Amino acid sequence: MSYKKLLTATMMATLLPVMGASASNVDDSFYPYNESVPTYPGLTPGMTLTSANIDQFPDIMDAPMIAAIKRGDVQIKVGKTTSFDLHPNYVKASRENAGNVMLGAEVGQIDGWVAGRPFLDQPSSDDDRAGEKLAWNYKYGYNWGDNAAIYPFYWKYRNMETGSVERTLKFNFHFLNYKGRVNQEPLPNIEPNPSGLFRSIYAQVLEPYDVKNTQLLIQRNSDDLKRDNAWLYLGFQRRVRRLATGQVTDAFLGSDIMIEDFEGYNGRVSDMKWNYMGTKNVLLPFYNHNDMALDSETHQDDEGYQVVAFGGKGGCYPEIEWQLRKAYVVEAIPVDPNHPMSKRVFYMDAQTFTIPRTNIYDRAGNLWKKWMIGQSHPDHHLAKNKGSGVSIDDSFAIIDVQANHCTTGQFKGQIDPALNPASLFTPQNMRATGR
Amino acid sequence: MNLKSSIKFLAFGVTVASVASAAIVGTAYGKDIEWSGFGEEVVHHRKDVGISKARSGFQIEGLKFIGDVGPFSNVSVNGIVRLSYDAVYDLNDDEYGNNAGGAAFVNSLGLANLGAPTSIPVNGNGIGPAGGLGVGSFAVTNILGPQVDVAVGGDGTGSAFPFTAVLGGNTFVDAYSNNPNVGMITLGEHLRPHGDGVSFGVPVRPCDTDGRGCIKDFMDADKKELASPELFSDRGDWLRELYVDATLLGKGDNEINFRLGKQQVIWGRTDLFRVLDVINPVDYSRNNIYDELEDIRIPMWILKTDFRFGATGPFDDFNMQLVWNFDKFRPNNLGQCGTPNVILDAGCFFRGMKNLWDNGGTVANFAPFDVTDPSLGLLATNFGPNSIGIRNVELPSWSLSNTQLGFKVEGVSGDFGWSFNALTYRSQLPSLHAGAVPVSNAFTGAPEQTFDYLIAFDVEFPRVNMLGASVDYYSQGIDTVFRVEVAGTQGEEFANTLRPELYSESDVVRFVVGADKNVFIRALNKSRAFLISGQVFGQYLLDHEMGNATLGQVGMPDWKQNHIATLLIKGWWMNDRLSPQIIMAHDFRAGATVVSPSIDWLITDNWQVVLTANYKTGGSDQRFDDCRLCNPWGPFTTSIPALPEHGADGLTAGSAGLGGFEPLGRFRSGPLGMAEKEDEIQIAIRYRF
Repeated sequence: MSYKKLLTATMMATLLPVMGASASNVDDSFYPYNESVPTYPGLTPGMTLTSANIDQFPDIMDAPMIAAIKRGDVQIKVGKTTSFDLHPNYVKASRENAGNVMLGAEVGQIDGWVAGRPFLDQPSSDDDRAGEKLAWNYKYGYNWGDNAAIYPFYWKYRNMETGSVERTLKFNFHFLNYKGRVNQEPLPNIEPNPSGLFRSIYAQVLEPYDVKNTQLLIQRNSDDLKRDNAWLYLGFQRRVRRLATGQVTDAFLGSDIMIEDFEGYNGRVSDMKWNYMGTKNVLLPFYNHNDMALDSETHQDDEGYQVVAFGGKGGCYPEIEWQLRKAYVVEAIPVDPNHPMSKRVFYMDAQTFTIPRTNIYDRAGNLWKKWMIGQSHPDHHLAKNKGSGVSIDDSFAIIDVQANHCTTGQFKGQIDPALNPASLFTPQNMRATGR
Repeated sequence: MNLKSSIKFLAFGVTVASVASAAIVGTAYGKDIEWSGFGEEVVHHRKDVGISKARSGFQIEGLKFIGDVGPFSNVSVNGIVRLSYDAVYDLNDDEYGNNAGGAAFVNSLGLANLGAPTSIPVNGNGIGPAGGLGVGSFAVTNILGPQVDVAVGGDGTGSAFPFTAVLGGNTFVDAYSNNPNVGMITLGEHLRPHGDGVSFGVPVRPCDTDGRGCIKDFMDADKKELASPELFSDRGDWLRELYVDATLLGKGDNEINFRLGKQQVIWGRTDLFRVLDVINPVDYSRNNIYDELEDIRIPMWILKTDFRFGATGPFDDFNMQLVWNFDKFRPNNLGQCGTPNVILDAGCFFRGMKNLWDNGGTVANFAPFDVTDPSLGLLATNFGPNSIGIRNVELPSWSLSNTQLGFKVEGVSGDFGWSFNALTYRSQLPSLHAGAVPVSNAFTGAPEQTFDYLIAFDVEFPRVNMLGASVDYYSQGIDTVFRVEVAGTQGEEFANTLRPELYSESDVVRFVVGADKNVFIRALNKSRAFLISGQVFGQYLLDHEMGNATLGQVGMPDWKQNHIATLLIKGWWMNDRLSPQIIMAHDFRAGATVVSPSIDWLITDNWQVVLTANYKTGGSDQRFDDCRLCNPWGPFTTSIPALPEHGADGLTAGSAGLGGFEPLGRFRSGPLGMAEKEDEIQIAIRYRF
């Protein structure tokens, strides 16, 4: 080997860990169950946690859920822990880009991100900004992939005391990433993108009549310090209105969900002070949709697809399985002193960086809402979703424990680029197609 | 419409309707048609009037997705059928139905000199042998004549002024065999007494019961049509909307969206006001200005084409739109006199004026008691037919040149949304043209000719060209959305007593500045913010004309500059199922205010109850020159000596500025002020599916 070749090899060996992520980091981050799955003494897949046995598992879930089981509000079926592998292209992009990403000086600033998971190291309690890094991992997570649709999406407003369904809203929801795309052309960004949009959410209300034809478009800027732009088309006005987006803590269409709650957390990184509270193995709502109890009434279609059924007190809990999974516990405290809540406590799934469980506390520090988003493995869902590498949001429940009221969600999530052309995510689309 | 163009229009309309209908009918039993709709019962109770609406309504909407058809994708057909029956014409028939109205009275203040009552029934007999109190043919010849003779140096026998020869052929009348004083109101009587101003009787019963003053194809509704306006409409209004959507996909994200059929096309970014939103005419007869515009826009047969380019250059979204309204012209429905909602009370003015033209009638406080001493007051005067009033309403027929064309460029750039708009259209409001209607001089009976300043009108709908723009902007700093809409028009016409035609054009600038903010009031609702939305509307007449005459201001009654402010505060409780709101509006120049609180309760997804109050105050007492002293028939329509505006010989026409509330005060009062006495409690119950 010549001196020159030796020097080159030495330099490459030195620089590689800086420029890319190590194999162990990637495996730890994306494949935590490669070697083993979490266990808990006495807990076995297939068993059901009830008020009779929950005391044997005092920290198997977060305290509010334990309390609900003790009260008999819900019984939890334990499923086998399975790996929800994200799409290989997302993993590849993470590996290629992770070493280039750095937090900026202020919360909400990040440099060097192109695509993939920004931070692959395991969080450390010694790192003051560990919580913030986890927030970025969520924001730039694979979530719904490059694009997806919940088509359709049923929301039911329920009185938890009586079990009566007060309202049923039927939506179509669409998601599109402009940046950080890893799977569908164009890669990695959609151009032109003059305002530097990161992501758009477009929703259309199909039922009931009073909100039929309502359309909502939210455009999220890449600059986390900038607020979203949003537009609303109201069927009864037949007009597109730009919305003031500061009040993301407003109850969305009267549901128990704030816009800030969408997908687990839908605010800006810069809106919160993020505290990493530790890593835990807890039960989280992960399952195979096709193996669950399904609701044959709410939705029927030619494919024979049915949505997840709900039960428990007031019909507020999805009838699904929960897996013992590795989760990062993150506390988010609003920067805005007028924010209606004092904090959120997130249980981020370590493998998928989805947020399947959140507890929300009011300004007095009392538990206000329990927020759960059931995740289905894509290979056990619609045939078109197989191999998509997307942890499919498949059911949700948000329970206002103070008002004894809940909103539940039943999804038909579809990873289908044809349903989400970029032309759908414009104010003009709302005008042109509005009725 | 000539025959050829009629056939073309019909053929085109039938083609569109057939395609759309075939799509619907062909799949009428298909499970993939989305049906929705509602049935409703709406009851309004008006202060001092009683029931003012008792509408049972039904609307059904069908949407059929067809998919790809030839080069088009996303083809769909949407149709809406609306039917309603308003029982108010039966339940409150002495206000709005076949028994509405009664004997109308007008003031004749000059009669005080005789010790006679100063309020006399309209269309009564003339002074003299007929035994009445109106100035009719006999009085003009035998009272006015001697007065003039004396005034010009004679002895009252015709020695200086041969009045029998000159005035003997006058067309004033001493009896009205075709225009009895039944089923009438006095113009403006529900607002305030007309005092020393003018007024006249107006028939108010449905046109099948009383055809007087009904204007063909404009204000000629019979009771069936008033009660069920969709079903018995001349224009098939039961079919509220029917259109085909189709998309031509282009390169990249470019696409062209077509919507062809009967539809509403909405421009602009503001609520309540129509600055850019003027493509469809509006039906104010439904609930004045207080219904959602979606429910009162009159859908038209339109081709709307959106050229969408998506993110382009510096714009996040860039689009162009072409709108061709090829439907036969329709004006705004201003409401027919004798119905509950007559915006600006214009329908009553029109009907009364049309009746004056067709049948003649008594006009309050018109002829001087003494031509040499106007201070002695004026006398109610019996005009004969074809002297004053409205002769014709010239509704534009269908022709290519009468269709309406619009173009819009619209885009988004970050926190800004913007549009530039251009539209050439026909004014949806009527314009009264004087000076071109041949009449006989009412004093002399001379052969017909046109007279300047004579209140004998044809009604026209002039072409208007509009250029406009709109912007919305989200301010992050104060978390508020601002909306601005501005339009300049050329070709609009306004009443103008300075002009011989009694109207003139003025360029107009209108704008709205609005701000929307969601505000939490935690003490009232900790989880749902209140919407607070304020708007200021401005209207500036750039060619406004106003002058001072001997007896008052003359010119254009519309304000040169006026502003209206609105404020909406809306809250939500019970998961948005209970929503109280309050809307307030104030017209600054008119001094008129409306406050409308309401509560919307969604009992279930299907059942809804809305309770509304509508309280108004101020603004109905605006006065303006009424052209009584415009002297079209000089020297008989001035005093002796003549007023300065009428020349030394009294032969010059032009207004001396004598005014009252009617008829032009309404333009100053505006829609809010002219509805001052229409306070209502309203309830709507809907079942939606």
